[in-house]
Amino acid sequence: MKENRLLRMLRILLVALLCVMCLIPFYVLLVLSLNAPSRVFYEGNIFVPTFAWANYAEAWSKSRVGTAMLNSAVITFGTLGMTILLGGMAGYAIARRNTTFNKAVFSLLIGCMMIPGIINTVPLYTLMRQIGAVNTLWGMVMVCATLAMPSAVFIYTTFVRALPRELDEAAEVDGCTGFKAFWQVIFPVLKPATASFVILNGFGVWNNYAQAVFFLQSRDKQNIPQALSVFFQQFGGAKWHLMSATAAIAIVPVVLIFLVFQRQFIQGLTEGAVKG
Amino acid sequence: MRVKRRDYTQWMSLPALLLFCTFFVYPLIRGIGMSLTDWDGMGKATFIGFANFTRFFQDARALGDIRTTLIFAAGSALLLNLFGLLYALLMEKPFHGRSLARVIIYLPAIISPLIMGYIWYFLLQPGRGFLYHAMAQIGATFPLGNWMGNYPTTMAVLIFVNVWQFAGMTMIIYLAGLQNISSDMREAALIDGAGAWQRFTRVTLPLLAPAIRINVVTNIIGSLSVFDVIMSLTEGGPGYATESLSIYIMRMCYGSRTGYSTAVAMILFVMILIPVVISMRLTRARD
Repeated sequence: MKENRLLRMLRILLVALLCVMCLIPFYVLLVLSLNAPSRVFYEGNIFVPTFAWANYAEAWSKSRVGTAMLNSAVITFGTLGMTILLGGMAGYAIARRNTTFNKAVFSLLIGCMMIPGIINTVPLYTLMRQIGAVNTLWGMVMVCATLAMPSAVFIYTTFVRALPRELDEAAEVDGCTGFKAFWQVIFPVLKPATASFVILNGFGVWNNYAQAVFFLQSRDKQNIPQALSVFFQQFGGAKWHLMSATAAIAIVPVVLIFLVFQRQFIQGLTEGAVKG
Repeated sequence: MRVKRRDYTQWMSLPALLLFCTFFVYPLIRGIGMSLTDWDGMGKATFIGFANFTRFFQDARALGDIRTTLIFAAGSALLLNLFGLLYALLMEKPFHGRSLARVIIYLPAIISPLIMGYIWYFLLQPGRGFLYHAMAQIGATFPLGNWMGNYPTTMAVLIFVNVWQFAGMTMIIYLAGLQNISSDMREAALIDGAGAWQRFTRVTLPLLAPAIRINVVTNIIGSLSVFDVIMSLTEGGPGYATESLSIYIMRMCYGSRTGYSTAVAMILFVMILIPVVISMRLTRARD
């Protein structure tokens, strides 16, 4: 189907406008974060900042966003590692051994997949306090891994079902069963499933706020969103240069990771959507 | 066949199940019990039957929160799908710079909604936000005025920010759906003399039904539990006007009304279950 030239131009123009609309808030954040605190609202060209780089140094030292980044990284890697291992094992068992038990496990997890975490956060908080897991990174890992588990088991089960049985039989001939067969034969070929799981859940764990607000209150255990909200609340709306510089620092890691892996990311999302 | 001894492969789903039961199923069941008590989180809990639920439905703030949550979810789901589909149709055919455009349009969706709320607050704070000054510099007044003083405009802004952030995500799913529709189908319709609008409504849209269902259901469920963006943009205010049920649950829990907050969670649970059940029915009818 050939499209006439005018329509094509119009379409590209609209897409360009759309892109500008998506980038404006990021640009404004950059401008605000580089405005000197003394810059009154606003003399001169509002779109050009005064390049007060010192804002970033001050934001970094006052906001403890560095600690928060480290915590977010530990929570994200811990959660993904734990979910990949346990979810992969479960997906393998469910796909290969169609027992009543495994059918029940699968139904339970898939049935709960759509339930958001906030539904059981309050009773969970009681449990977490009893086992001393509030304000610990491992506790947060348990909470996030639990919330991501249905998605992992779903992805791995679907993927293992599509794998040829010969793979398992070859492993069995070599005397590999159970965990050994999973770990040495199946897990290495699960890479695409793992990639799509990480793509679908990674940023969500990194950005988690609804659970962090309950479970990560102590200052040195906060993740990025929790640290930011606590830091911002003390200003009561003043000191935008500090707030915006902190926000800019806070989004650097996700933006970088997204830009580096954008090709795999978009492709993974597209494939995931087709399968789902 | 060989007799397999000690093949524990079938039990390899046990660790995942244990984790899930400990941190999800057990608290959920315990929450049902807690919702029938007046527990304050510390002392003794007394069984009070359904008093928490009747109290909820007599509380103006709680009913307002239901209204806010429903309006936010309906508005978000509608507009996310409308714009996601529109974006996808714009981006469907290849052109120079398409992959770059796709990355840019998706970019907002990877940022924490909490931080996104703060960024939009810098842009839109009534009277002080960047856009007010930008408009003033070109000699215009910002059309939103004091949007926080008015419930409909405050809701509109919250929905707008949410849609602005996540339309790229629905777009990707629609793009995948459009890829699956073979161009043969649409060309056949073209040869049969169908106009552009007819091709869209008679061929593209019906074949896109699975993608539409996935998007609508995930968007409704996601926005029914909205938390982050409201916390940073309005903090639920002015007053409690734009408070969502999720925020209400958190605040009741911190206010030592633990039993009551779990009852609210159960009400939200039922609200979320309705679209889930409907979508499962639809899927089953199709299969």
